[in-house]
Amino acid sequence: MSELKIGLISCSGEECLGGTISRLATRKVLEELKLVETVTLCLPLYLAGGREERNFAKVFPTISVDGCDKLCAKRSTEKYSGKISGFIDVSKIIGNENALNTKIVRNKDLKSEHFQMADEVAGEIVKMIGSISPDSYSGKSFRGCGCGGD
Amino acid sequence: MDRKVKVIPCSGIGKVYGLMAREAVLKTVFELCPEKSETVCLAYIVTGDKEVKEKIEGFDCITVDGCPKMCAAKNVSITGGKVIEEIKVLDTVKEHKGKKFGSPTQLNSDGEAVISEIAEKIAKTINKII
Amino acid sequence: MVENYAILPCNGLDKCAGVISRELAIKLCKNGKNEIICPVYYRVAEAKYNKIAGERPLFVIDGCQTRCASKLAAEKNLKISKKVTVTEEAKNQNIELKNNLTLQENENALVEIILNGLNNTEDGVPQSSAETSFVINFEYETFQHGKFIFRVPKNPEVYFNENDCWAYVNGNRARIGVTDFVQQNLSDILYFTPPGIGEEIDQFGEAGEIESSKSVFELISPVSGKVISINETLLQQPELINENPYELGWIAEIELTGFEGDKELLLGFEKYFEIMKRKVEDLNG
Repeated sequence: MSELKIGLISCSGEECLGGTISRLATRKVLEELKLVETVTLCLPLYLAGGREERNFAKVFPTISVDGCDKLCAKRSTEKYSGKISGFIDVSKIIGNENALNTKIVRNKDLKSEHFQMADEVAGEIVKMIGSISPDSYSGKSFRGCGCGGD
Repeated sequence: MDRKVKVIPCSGIGKVYGLMAREAVLKTVFELCPEKSETVCLAYIVTGDKEVKEKIEGFDCITVDGCPKMCAAKNVSITGGKVIEEIKVLDTVKEHKGKKFGSPTQLNSDGEAVISEIAEKIAKTINKII
Repeated sequence: MVENYAILPCNGLDKCAGVISRELAIKLCKNGKNEIICPVYYRVAEAKYNKIAGERPLFVIDGCQTRCASKLAAEKNLKISKKVTVTEEAKNQNIELKNNLTLQENENALVEIILNGLNNTEDGVPQSSAETSFVINFEYETFQHGKFIFRVPKNPEVYFNENDCWAYVNGNRARIGVTDFVQQNLSDILYFTPPGIGEEIDQFGEAGEIESSKSVFELISPVSGKVISINETLLQQPELINENPYELGWIAEIELTGFEGDKELLLGFEKYFEIMKRKVEDLNG
């Protein structure tokens, strides 16, 4: 059984739909599609937190998930924590027009097509996890995630 | 309007309180005070890019944090934003003892009610300034 | 942060850490309540600062391990109430200080991080603890599981029960609280119900309650005695238990009765550490 844990860091940006999709897709992978143990960290903890947070990408192979081509999660992880193992640019999957939509950002405004976008992105995250950890079908679930875990 | 108040939530993805911070801010800037406020991605602020620093340096900022780590307040302050109020989601949550608010992915009706309360508080502060 | 300190920075001019030390001192005095003692002037003409140094608690800021400010305080027979060493803080925060003598991004970030930490720490010091003499100088052993870190104090004066509560014994008094295992599992602690002051508690009796959105946890007292004070700060800031359950997040102070007998049923650090590790592994699979 694989003991590998993969870290996911999402931008969760509030300015456009790409950030919302990024967040939803990451949550889906954490909650539903747990093929290996996945953990996440809130990106702003790199500055607000301490050594444990900054050591995150040094401890775990980490995939960043960004809502647009600014690639904030990727760049911040590399700047503060360490090399990332892979990155997802949501705008490349759902298209720039969708990703940069500033009118539909809130959960309550999302329609079924947006949830489908999140599913698509989640699928790409899972593929990337698979490329990092080929023996990913451990079936092991992880209780919590984030700053303390819910 | 150039001097909009910047309202910045934490990006807390691990807890329902992070989602509540996010949704409260979005309700404020989209619904309650769209002419007077706007949000800025905290993830972008963390990068320290010159462009985002110009967006918040010296501007009135309200931060909304989902947990005591206070990521939004700390990061905005480090980047030069003038934090005029630090809102803590947990302060409002504590007034609703015994309730559940949903998950980090989706709020339930109690969660929506609380974020409305928080959004009203933010709007009140904004309306005092502008 | 509690105000009215006399602030003694090292003011080292040939190192980045000294520049940061100075900047911290200046920022701490911006509120008009703290006052700076110039270390250079103090050395040559102490009269100017004797009054401030005598009346206010002293806050020393050393830039590096040379600890010039601390040494000066010792020379002047001053008691240090609070201390920061810039190079240690930089190391703890994984921030590399360059050789420049002007503050740049990293240095400014470190200043803000230290200031924020001071605000949080100082706010957590309850006034009611002035009567007791619990000097906190814990050494910790840590255990990491996934991305979660669990700490346990190694000091021999700290005892544990199997209900994951600790007691720090000092003379005929003890401070009690919960371990990292409890606060990690509860996640954000929202409510604190303390035991009553004056209440007599048996060993393994209930000593208050803490609650998060996940569950309620009843503290099981490791010791018997009378509750003589509670950490009142937790009433407004129960999250301090999450932040540091052994220091800022202490729950109550107990005047001990029968500790010699109670001790036989308690665990020392080594045994508790192993028990906690097993619990963490069992819980998380």
